Amino acid sequence: MTKQLLIAAALAIGALLPYAGVPGWSLSLATVTAFTAVSLVGLNLIYGMTGMLALGQAAFVALPAYASGLVVKQGIPPALAIPIGVLIAVVIARLVAEVFVRLPGIYFAIGTLGFAFVVEGLARAFPAITGGASGLVLEPPIFLSGTGWYITALASLAFAICIFSLLRQGRFARRLKLVRHDELAAEVMGINVPRLKATVFTIGSAFSAAGGALLAYYTQVISPESGGVTNSVEALAMVVIGGSGSLFGPLLGAVTVNWLFSIAGGAGRFELLLYGLGFFLVILYAPKGLAGLLNYAWASVFSPAQSRHAQPVSLLDDSKASVSSRKANQKIGDVCLEVASVSKRFGGLQAVHQVDLHVRFGQIVAVIGPNGAGKSTLFNTISGLEAPDEGVVRIDGHSVVSQAVCERARLIGRSFQVPRLVPDLTVLENVRARLDQFALGDEAQNELEARTHLEAFGLADLAHLPAGQVGLGQHKIIELVRASAGTPLLLLLDEPAVGLATGEVARLAELLRDLKALGAAILVVEHNMSFVAAIADEVVVMDSGCVIARGAPAAVMQDEKVKAAYLGAIA
Amino acid sequence: MSGALFALLGMGMVLTYRTARVLNLAHGESFAVAGIGTAVLITAGVPYFLAMAVATVVTVALATSLQWFVLRPRSDWPPGTLILITLGFAFVVRGVLFVVVGADPVSFPTLFDGRPIRAAGAVFPIQGIALVAFGLLAAAATALFLTQTRFGKQLLATAENPFAAQLVGVDVERARLVAYGLASVLGAIAGVLLIPLIAVDFQAGLGMTLRGFIAAAISGMSPGGVLLAGILLGLFESLVGAWLGALAQDPVIFVLLIAIAVWQSRKIRFGGGKRA
Repeated sequence: MTKQLLIAAALAIGALLPYAGVPGWSLSLATVTAFTAVSLVGLNLIYGMTGMLALGQAAFVALPAYASGLVVKQGIPPALAIPIGVLIAVVIARLVAEVFVRLPGIYFAIGTLGFAFVVEGLARAFPAITGGASGLVLEPPIFLSGTGWYITALASLAFAICIFSLLRQGRFARRLKLVRHDELAAEVMGINVPRLKATVFTIGSAFSAAGGALLAYYTQVISPESGGVTNSVEALAMVVIGGSGSLFGPLLGAVTVNWLFSIAGGAGRFELLLYGLGFFLVILYAPKGLAGLLNYAWASVFSPAQSRHAQPVSLLDDSKASVSSRKANQKIGDVCLEVASVSKRFGGLQAVHQVDLHVRFGQIVAVIGPNGAGKSTLFNTISGLEAPDEGVVRIDGHSVVSQAVCERARLIGRSFQVPRLVPDLTVLENVRARLDQFALGDEAQNELEARTHLEAFGLADLAHLPAGQVGLGQHKIIELVRASAGTPLLLLLDEPAVGLATGEVARLAELLRDLKALGAAILVVEHNMSFVAAIADEVVVMDSGCVIARGAPAAVMQDEKVKAAYLGAIA
Repeated sequence: MSGALFALLGMGMVLTYRTARVLNLAHGESFAVAGIGTAVLITAGVPYFLAMAVATVVTVALATSLQWFVLRPRSDWPPGTLILITLGFAFVVRGVLFVVVGADPVSFPTLFDGRPIRAAGAVFPIQGIALVAFGLLAAAATALFLTQTRFGKQLLATAENPFAAQLVGVDVERARLVAYGLASVLGAIAGVLLIPLIAVDFQAGLGMTLRGFIAAAISGMSPGGVLLAGILLGLFESLVGAWLGALAQDPVIFVLLIAIAVWQSRKIRFGGGKRA
């Protein structure tokens, strides 16, 4: 609580600084900085929170100013033109987002960069409309004194930061973190990644546009450079210097950079070098920026003794809680998953060939086979990461072939061979990240559900630890909890027993049998034969993409073909 | 002329991207450092060729130290952050150049004198022809080196799978170092040959990086393709300039770039084809 008070006090003093005669910190600079910070809040949402490397954000800072300037020329009063300009910019952002969010990695960075070039270039290319290189003059709708503008700027900044702090909490933030850390896992957890990114890009650009429009009307001119690449990249630099992802990062960055520029005016030609060096050093040695440094200082002064590592909790110490609090599925015995003559080919490699497979509700089927047998491809085809070349995948009687990965996620819970949890979310939040999509309850109900779920698996003690601080063996179990959260019809478990100690394997087998008793249909890929023998009702053996044997575990292991293909490889 | 420029810069981009998987936003600075460095040295009275040699050595030293001392120890950082690091490096270089030469564009006398050749109603300065010849030659030589020699293929292999390359005995760090060095030489050639024709200022680097990237992106990051892509792009830019005016060049080129980025990425899902 003291920390909040301190921050509030710092903000209040900071707001009064332009009147305190701080060298270089004039009222107009403070106003410009506050408007800039509003724009940067948007970039912080896009880059800092979601990790989308937007290199052309200045385009959305300049667009609303140009748009409203052009609207005014049509005879519309300026007071109306500003919101219209912002709206136009947001609509454009939504449209280009449709294209950009589908670009992976560097292509997104370059696409947005290119967009800034286009905007800057167009502003220059049509001097008759846009005023060309010298810019477009904008008449403010009402006359405001310096202080009036400053108060407007502070109010809009406070508003922006409040909205941002709301967005930083709850399920929206959990989704962003999951997408930022691992897009594929996010999609498998049921998040429509392109749509979420487009939303983030649009909201972020709305901040950029609002800040940009106000700034342009304050300075009364908008020039091509303000929408260009240099400004975009410098905006990003400010966010990084201030602390990307943190609440006050954009404000800190904008204040620091603008103030340093202002007092470095005397340093003349060293200005750019200092700026470059500052940015370079921050990104190398303080990746969380100034906000991160301040937090660190705070933590080391006031809570130095707090241990950073929690005691590892063993899975075995927990009481034998069971999953039985949930009600059993009524359809036990019916077919849940049906894979019908599915084939998949990669170039010259037939990864999966004419595979047929059934899993019933309340049944555990294990797929085994040597490396390269096509097990993972089969899994990817079922969960939608790969489209089959031929064949059909049906769940509960309905074909899911045309459904996207995130649409299937409601029906399918999946764990990964190498666990894909978000290390800086807590164990509980990792589990909730899946429930967020499907559970119908409100935040509190979902949290309760996730907690009950963790308890059932004996992980309640870990719930509030960041996943990054939990042992890797437990990641496997947490993934199982996450996959089964929200009771999907089908569970796909990719080598769940790998990396577990013997006792933990036994506990896992028990948990899976509990889930099965409740009517879950479970498909497991596994190498640990004794584990398979202990849990599976049916074993399907694959080799070179084909099913070569199937049946009860004991029978399959006596099969000559299986011995030759699989067990024979060991002998 | 701009075709050769695109090809040279694009080749450097492809080289560094293919070996290190990091988009080097400081690549254009090799152009700026070499060109502006030569201009400064010549103004200070250093003989022509010595100035070019010194400037090129400085350029290579900068690019290789970026890779060796800055990027190499952080190879496990996320690519986005590494890209920002190269951007920060570009800012630093830009700041230094501004301190050295100020805001005005600089240039130096052409290396190849003689009367411009007139043909088909156009004027071709000898230096321009030299730029085209040397530029294409250097870019083509690099393409041959990468695709035909054992060491060149090793360089490219490091990008596809650094771990596997390491296993079969490719020294990944050395390969990346060579790639950064070679790329900066190509950038330096472009700078030294172009600046006598068109004066450039301290912030030319980022624009050059983008030109290189466009050529590289169009070719799909392939060393052979980037040569062709560069030339075609140069022609296209000149045509746009002739038809619609020089001001329309940037918007048209970058709309093209966005279109190509979309096309190139049509099959890539989930941030670069990661498999579960």
